[in-house]
Amino acid sequence: MGLENPFVPYLATLKSAVDLTPDVKLLGVELENSAEKASFDYKPGQFALLSAFGEGEAPFGIVSLSRHGDGLEFAVRRIGTVTNALHELELGDVLGVRGPFGNYFPLEDYVGKNMVIIGGGIGMAPLRPVINQILEQRDNYQDLLIINGARTPQDLVFAPEFKTWMEAPRTKLELTVDRGDEHWGERVALVPDVVKEVAPSPDNAIAITCGPPIMIHYTLIVLKELGFKDNQIVTTLEAKMKCGLGKCARCNVGDKYVCQDGPVFTLEQISQFLEQP
Amino acid sequence: MNLFISRDELIRWLDQLLRERILAAPVQVQGLTLFQPISKVEEVTLDFGNTTLSPKEWFLPPTETLFSMQGNDGHPQLVPSTIEKDAVIFGLRPCDAKGIALMDGPFLREPGDALYQERRVRTSLIGLSCHQVQPECFCTSVGSAPNDPNHVDILLTEVENGYIVQVVTEKGKALLPEGLTDSKEELPPPPELQDVPVKEVTRAVREFFDNPYWEQLADRCLHCNICAYVCPTCYCFDVRDYSNKGNLERVRSWDSCQSTGFTRIAGGYDPRAAKGARLRQRFSHKLLYFPEEFQDIACVGCGRCVKSCPVNIDIREVMSDLQQLEAKSGS
Repeated sequence: MGLENPFVPYLATLKSAVDLTPDVKLLGVELENSAEKASFDYKPGQFALLSAFGEGEAPFGIVSLSRHGDGLEFAVRRIGTVTNALHELELGDVLGVRGPFGNYFPLEDYVGKNMVIIGGGIGMAPLRPVINQILEQRDNYQDLLIINGARTPQDLVFAPEFKTWMEAPRTKLELTVDRGDEHWGERVALVPDVVKEVAPSPDNAIAITCGPPIMIHYTLIVLKELGFKDNQIVTTLEAKMKCGLGKCARCNVGDKYVCQDGPVFTLEQISQFLEQP
Repeated sequence: MNLFISRDELIRWLDQLLRERILAAPVQVQGLTLFQPISKVEEVTLDFGNTTLSPKEWFLPPTETLFSMQGNDGHPQLVPSTIEKDAVIFGLRPCDAKGIALMDGPFLREPGDALYQERRVRTSLIGLSCHQVQPECFCTSVGSAPNDPNHVDILLTEVENGYIVQVVTEKGKALLPEGLTDSKEELPPPPELQDVPVKEVTRAVREFFDNPYWEQLADRCLHCNICAYVCPTCYCFDVRDYSNKGNLERVRSWDSCQSTGFTRIAGGYDPRAAKGARLRQRFSHKLLYFPEEFQDIACVGCGRCVKSCPVNIDIREVMSDLQQLEAKSGS
């Protein structure tokens, strides 16, 4: 056998599983082979394909920060066959990991900028490592504004981290939900409306957004109204994927492959796509 | 100088080849002509215009196991599939050989597709020139020819009493039987084909990407996927797991961008749900994205999709329509 088969995943063990919301779990995963573990280096925005053996494989953003030797974290929303099987795994069970794949948020290019992070629902998953890396290198960036929305207060995926985020220097966290409950003291509004209300300045700023397609659609409109240029708006595209290798042609959007050319694109890049995602 | 092989010598050569390795050749199966591994030379048919399916399935099988999982309890192991034997594909047409060369683009680029690459290295191609063409053929318009030797290891061209043998590659040279004589005959002129203009087609697809033409064309499309099934260059695939009593296999299967739900993501959003958008994807990939990436359109002019489409969607017409739209808009 010549070439190593790129479809064969690394074997990994489920080390932790924490309920983040009624349908999202934070899975802590550790590669079994120590050499594979040591070389698995990744950046915020990159993704991996997780295998629930017997059910299949699906792509997930890696929500932890790359530190050699540590495990990988994935925020998995239970929504289909593979995610259902991943939720059913017990600690110590074996799963598969392929990756890291794709490009990443070029945070080193944003040093010295005001950062606006806008996430909705499980769309916060790829934004969590962005926020945490900015907080780790807090002095490298100016103001950090996080706008996070969800359907209900229970669906705010990274609620356990809100305190850390809010207490970080020059960091503001704006929360909103579509439907509140009796304990909810924050906004009840749609994410684009909150962006409009908070009105972050486009001066020396980068806005990174991820969420359901409809949220992104209207958020982009608001950001443009606020004066953000297409090259100041960054998003990460979700696409059906089977291989992660630029071959199965599922994630082909225009002449781009989300798995190889993305998933991170500026709005400037996306607006030049022939086919709109 | 080309060589000559008589019919008797050809039979002896094929007989020798099939003893040493897998020999896949055109075989009549219930009215279809298909490439199948043969165990006797008599199974081979040489009486065909083109095979019903291209030999693409030899490199990208309709379904194949990528790896299996063994030892489920305790310490599972993932066992990648391997290719057991060397192979020869005999009797493929030049257009289909070009189809394989085009598939090399996506499958051999980094990271290489291990199974495809292994098959490619260990398979030799003995092509057969076309001495007659079919009504749906248009290979000469898309950079091939009925006698194109470019993408095979050896090309045979039928003449009286036998075949002229063109040895194209070193791999082909190694396959040759001993004792072939030089050919006294010149290669016969290839049969003539219809001319389908393609010169402006890549630009036209880009230009008319948002034209209602696609929705209109797709109105009659049944999205039956037959075009992708018979196409020598369509390569979209699906990957799924199958498990039975603790034995697990991850299987890759042919798929098509025409399938409903091909691009549907978790939660139900489908960026390419519209019929027109899906049909446009088929032609955009072949005529625009593929040439931008690999410098050639992903069509070899075999005409199988033209012949197979139940609603007469004809890639020759599509290319012509788009270029006419382009010409009109330019004037």
